[in-house]
Amino acid sequence: MRLRITAICLNVGLLVIAAVTIFPFVWMLLSSFKHADEIAAVDQHLLPRVWTLANYRSIQEHFDVVRLFGNSLLLAVVITAIAVYTSLLGGYVFGKYRFRGRGLLFSVVLATTMIPWAVVLIPRYTMFTDAGLQDSYASIIIPAAISSFGIFMMRQSMDNVPDEILEAARIDGASELYIFHRIVAPLSVNAISALAIFQFLWVWEDYLWPYLMITTPSKQVLAVGLTTFSGQYSTDYGGLFAATTVSIIPVVIVYVIFQRRFVAGAASAAVKG
Amino acid sequence: MAGRPAAPRAAPSGPGLMTTTETTPAVAPPVAAPGRRRSTSTARGERPLRLVVVTTIIVAILTLVAWPIVAALLGSLHDWNPLNDTYRWVGLANYRRLFADPVFWTSSVNTVVFMTGAIIGRVVLGMALAYAVYSRLTRTKTLFRTLFYLPTVTPLVAVAYVWRLMYNPQFGAVNSFLGLDVNWLYDSRFALPAVMVMTIWKDFGFAVILYLAGLYALPADVLEAADVDGAGAWARFRQVIWPMLRPTTLFVVVTSIIGYLQAFVQVFVLTAGGPGDATSLISYLIYQQAFENYNFGYASAAAFVLFIGTAVLTMLWYRAQTGPLRGKAH
Repeated sequence: MRLRITAICLNVGLLVIAAVTIFPFVWMLLSSFKHADEIAAVDQHLLPRVWTLANYRSIQEHFDVVRLFGNSLLLAVVITAIAVYTSLLGGYVFGKYRFRGRGLLFSVVLATTMIPWAVVLIPRYTMFTDAGLQDSYASIIIPAAISSFGIFMMRQSMDNVPDEILEAARIDGASELYIFHRIVAPLSVNAISALAIFQFLWVWEDYLWPYLMITTPSKQVLAVGLTTFSGQYSTDYGGLFAATTVSIIPVVIVYVIFQRRFVAGAASAAVKG
Repeated sequence: MAGRPAAPRAAPSGPGLMTTTETTPAVAPPVAAPGRRRSTSTARGERPLRLVVVTTIIVAILTLVAWPIVAALLGSLHDWNPLNDTYRWVGLANYRRLFADPVFWTSSVNTVVFMTGAIIGRVVLGMALAYAVYSRLTRTKTLFRTLFYLPTVTPLVAVAYVWRLMYNPQFGAVNSFLGLDVNWLYDSRFALPAVMVMTIWKDFGFAVILYLAGLYALPADVLEAADVDGAGAWARFRQVIWPMLRPTTLFVVVTSIIGYLQAFVQVFVLTAGGPGDATSLISYLIYQQAFENYNFGYASAAAFVLFIGTAVLTMLWYRAQTGPLRGKAH
């Protein structure tokens, strides 16, 4: 039957495209377990003939990848926690309070998301350097502590928090902070997790700013470490496979576990935009 | 949406911030004072919180965005080099130099080509795959959705290195796959397309998710009506679905314009702008001028041109798509 054939073609086509999509990751992961001569061999095989952890040992020895991983993780967790909290608070104030200049200020917040990084980068660089913040994590955390995108996203999600509940709590004499922490936050879990995912990934992949700010190699983040490594050991392909695997695979694992939340978050960011 | 009311306990309130409700002695809440209709919004405790939040936001915008923009604008009118402490007024000289610089024009053309190609790839692939996944003939929708979105969530720097290895002429998977012998990143004919392919691969999944969300939000009766009318699959898509997904396309294109005009990491990792200037993008040029040559003034001028270009393109596209009829839809 024609429908049947269409269905088969469709599914096979999708399967092929999906395979091509994830192939680079599979290839990277498998290659990271190969010896150098096998990586560069003329005769290429997807699976390693001899499995080895030599590449991982080598990157750990030469450039303490565990340390860089830890730095990135620490920064990502701290920044995500701060930015999500401030975004929710900002979203609450913009979404539930009425005050003069609210619309204007919110438009300004929104407009800042459209400014190219190249415009503000140089003055920020001189500002943070002059303030003696270079090589401190404060320089990474401060610019990320308040997120325009986050405030926007949380403001949109405030529609899910019914005014009646807030009113009832106020009548019961609850303070605003109590309402915010005990009512608004629990009702915004979906938006919070969506934003947390985005925020975490942004910090994890942020490159240029930490590269400019952090000067001590042992304090550096993983993304910058990759470029340093590639610059120093440009022909150590095995090491590069291993280093990129360390940077990518943890994200993939977390993604596979929470994929529903990732996808819902991406869609929610746009729906009301 | 109706997301499960008060299901899992959200982040346990920050330490010390719980202020134990300041349990007011059971005084009845002030009954809406006569003549004031806004009893709801002037709740006690709202003012201090609002003041703190609004002030913080304003201060943050002033110091981290507004002032840097002014400083960059001023800087673009100066000969500015932090290494030898130069900061000398030169008027529009940086802009004149910029517009006379062939590398600037090559980079501009490259940027527009890169942006256009990546947007078309992203929209076409995103739409086509979303429609295919949406089809009732497709099984395991979640699996496909999950796999297509995977590259989008992975870190760009690392992924760019993987693609640099993929394009390696000696052992790269691209050549083995296609049975070719091309030095993708060092051949000026292929380098920019290679960077574009990597970018499309990285980003199309986001468009798939957005188009899927758009498709599921379509009113069922519209689709049924089109079915009953006996519209062919393609006609139905062209005449019903594509126009109805216009807001999604608008969103994808606008965010892509903003994003791709400032693309940097791909080029930084894959080609360093080369061979020659074949893959130099505006943002890469700005980076080089600023942090390799420390021509802060010149780089700021280029950044401003990019800023204005982004604003103009976004506006034009937005105007063209929304048209005068729709006005403010909020």
